Amino acid sequence: MKKTVRYSAAIALAAAASLTLSSCGFGGGSTDGGDAEGKTTLDLLVPSYSDNTQGLWEDVVDGFEAENPDITVKLEVQSWDNLESVIATKVQGGEAPDIYNGGPFAGFAADDLLYPVEDVVSADTLSDFQDSFLANAEVDGTAYALPLIASARALFVNNALLEQAGVAQPPTTWDELLDAATKISALGNGIAGYGMPLGSEEAQAEAAVWLWGGGGTFGDADAITVDDPSNLPGAEQIKKMIDAGATQADPGSTNRSPLMDIFIQGKIGMQVGLPPTVGQIADNNPDLDYSIVPIPTQDGSAFTLGVMDQLMAFKNDGDKQDAITKFFDYYYSADVYVPWVQTEGFLPVTKSGADALSGEEALAPFLEVLPDAQFYPSTNPQWQATDGAFKALFGQIQTKPAQDVLTEIQAQVDAS
Amino acid sequence: MSTTTGTSSTPAGAASGRPRSAGRRGGDSGTSGSGASAGPAQRRPGGRDLLHALPWIGPALLLIVGVVFFPAGVMFFNSTRDISQSGVDRGGIGFANYVEVFSFPYFWPIFGRTIIWVVVVVGVTVLISLGLAQILDKAFPGRRIVRLAVIIPWAASVVMTTMVVYYGLEPYFGIINTFLVDIGLVTTPEGYGWTRNPATAFAWSIVVAIFVSLPFTTYTILAGLATVPGDVLEAAKMDGAGPVRTYFGVVLPQLRSALSVAVLINIINVFNSLPILKVMTGSIPGYDADTIMTMIFKYIQNQHKIDVASALSVVAFIIVIVIVAVYVRVVKPMKEV
Repeated sequence: MKKTVRYSAAIALAAAASLTLSSCGFGGGSTDGGDAEGKTTLDLLVPSYSDNTQGLWEDVVDGFEAENPDITVKLEVQSWDNLESVIATKVQGGEAPDIYNGGPFAGFAADDLLYPVEDVVSADTLSDFQDSFLANAEVDGTAYALPLIASARALFVNNALLEQAGVAQPPTTWDELLDAATKISALGNGIAGYGMPLGSEEAQAEAAVWLWGGGGTFGDADAITVDDPSNLPGAEQIKKMIDAGATQADPGSTNRSPLMDIFIQGKIGMQVGLPPTVGQIADNNPDLDYSIVPIPTQDGSAFTLGVMDQLMAFKNDGDKQDAITKFFDYYYSADVYVPWVQTEGFLPVTKSGADALSGEEALAPFLEVLPDAQFYPSTNPQWQATDGAFKALFGQIQTKPAQDVLTEIQAQVDAS
Repeated sequence: MSTTTGTSSTPAGAASGRPRSAGRRGGDSGTSGSGASAGPAQRRPGGRDLLHALPWIGPALLLIVGVVFFPAGVMFFNSTRDISQSGVDRGGIGFANYVEVFSFPYFWPIFGRTIIWVVVVVGVTVLISLGLAQILDKAFPGRRIVRLAVIIPWAASVVMTTMVVYYGLEPYFGIINTFLVDIGLVTTPEGYGWTRNPATAFAWSIVVAIFVSLPFTTYTILAGLATVPGDVLEAAKMDGAGPVRTYFGVVLPQLRSALSVAVLINIINVFNSLPILKVMTGSIPGYDADTIMTMIFKYIQNQHKIDVASALSVVAFIIVIVIVAVYVRVVKPMKEV
């Protein structure tokens, strides 16, 4: 009898301890529409693109508050890694921000949480967006998100390594790429021919570069089709690259950012990069002799992966429409928006912004390939799940058959 | 040979945590005015006693309910709901989330890895800590400095410690990798991708977990060593026991309560530990280096399935309780020496 009392006491103690030791986050704080003076508060949740992001947004907020003394903007900056879990937690706790900068938004639109964009920007601002970008933010003909920035990808080539390996021209087709990368890898001394980041950070991007480059697709607004025969050539080509030793070691679990640092250090022959990569090289290794060329594809046709991030407005109580409209109109005015995009090193999404930055040399190679850009099917409500499945599973292509990996990703998407 | 005469009628430690009945207070006032029957029947306080006690235990009860039972209730509630990707509650679906948890093809390997993780980390930690505590218990010049040094892994953030090791293991620029290349243990010039392969990443995670668990365990055992009475050790010496015999026959039994606390808290802590594995194995695709905790994280982070993550959390909670129950049954840490 005494014993059982002790056992149960010990177990109860352990249970209590395990609960208190495991952290339980519970969203607190109240977001009220206004305070006694009739001030409106806007909550702004944004991800961090670079070390400049927080400062840039603070400048925007300060300028906006100076023009609109009756509106306060509360800024919250999160890392990309945490952004999606933060927003999910906030939505679940009824604490959604008023303005949110993120990627996939179709899930929110499907849950009827977002304002259609025509309700939250003036007609002038709306007409200033590049039409193709705005079309990319439409669900069933209604745009629920405003384009914020765009980026295109291109192949960064280390000229010195190509020369050492005896490769005359940067590759334009897969065969040339395999050949060039194999030769560069053969230089030894830890040098890799092609940097292939299939780790969780941005596996879906590297996957898109290859799968779409072989004529594949992730699907469209109605259906996600990862397990599609058209994706196989690209997936098989990835395996070919890995098996030939043309990539760095363990591509399946290498993340993009650290690998880009290795390229910048001059240890990698070729790697797909973004507009901000130009700035990174200028900051960290200005002596690097490199060039930017279009991404090689199966048959050498032009193609790039376009990525667009959006700003969206949550309805919440529905009483802040005017304030949100004022903020968007202020932010997208050329004087505010252009310096913002320029500092972050991305491509502008407004016509006025494109005119202002047309002379930027660093952006030229990217603006060139932008017309051939293909985008993720981000208006599909399942895109978020697809994105997650790629990040969690695609790297297994290093060890598993290509078809199995595509099937597994498709299964996880279908189960979402 | 039982020379444990040193234990007085009121043994030290947690072994005698049984509350005394109220009737024993202040000598033998056998018949108290309350008219309640004396003796063992007094154990069960009536409703009125409870009412009288409420103002005193109320705050503690509130705290326990607020900090322990309420979050647990919310977690269980969430695990029976259908919560959308963006966090909207679409209503109850019974135990469908639990079905999903158990029908996940990788669940049992993950479960097995979790058990390995807990057993290896806690076991090795306790063994090393026993040795460390013995060393720190001896008086030697500079002991205070060494004792402080042992606390450092505890004082530093776990994520920070793990990050240091993680970057040390990076190919191309990690110092651990560079060192291994320089002494010729690794043949590839850029180093080996320790954190890129499930098995090696998991092994390194265990090393880091042991490292950060050592301070707490060492200090708990050190506190236990301080309670070992000197005359007992002297008696052992008089009886001609050697150092080994003394340690296993006299010191270790006295450490029972300290050890049981250290092991229990460590089991719970290690089982619930996410950051080390998250940092070390985060970039690895698939589920070959996951424990239950990282799986919960992946459900939330990658798949946005808050409901399934809650279900797995409840399962994890039950597993911890079972592990602790088995431990209490087998080891009987509460048994008096």
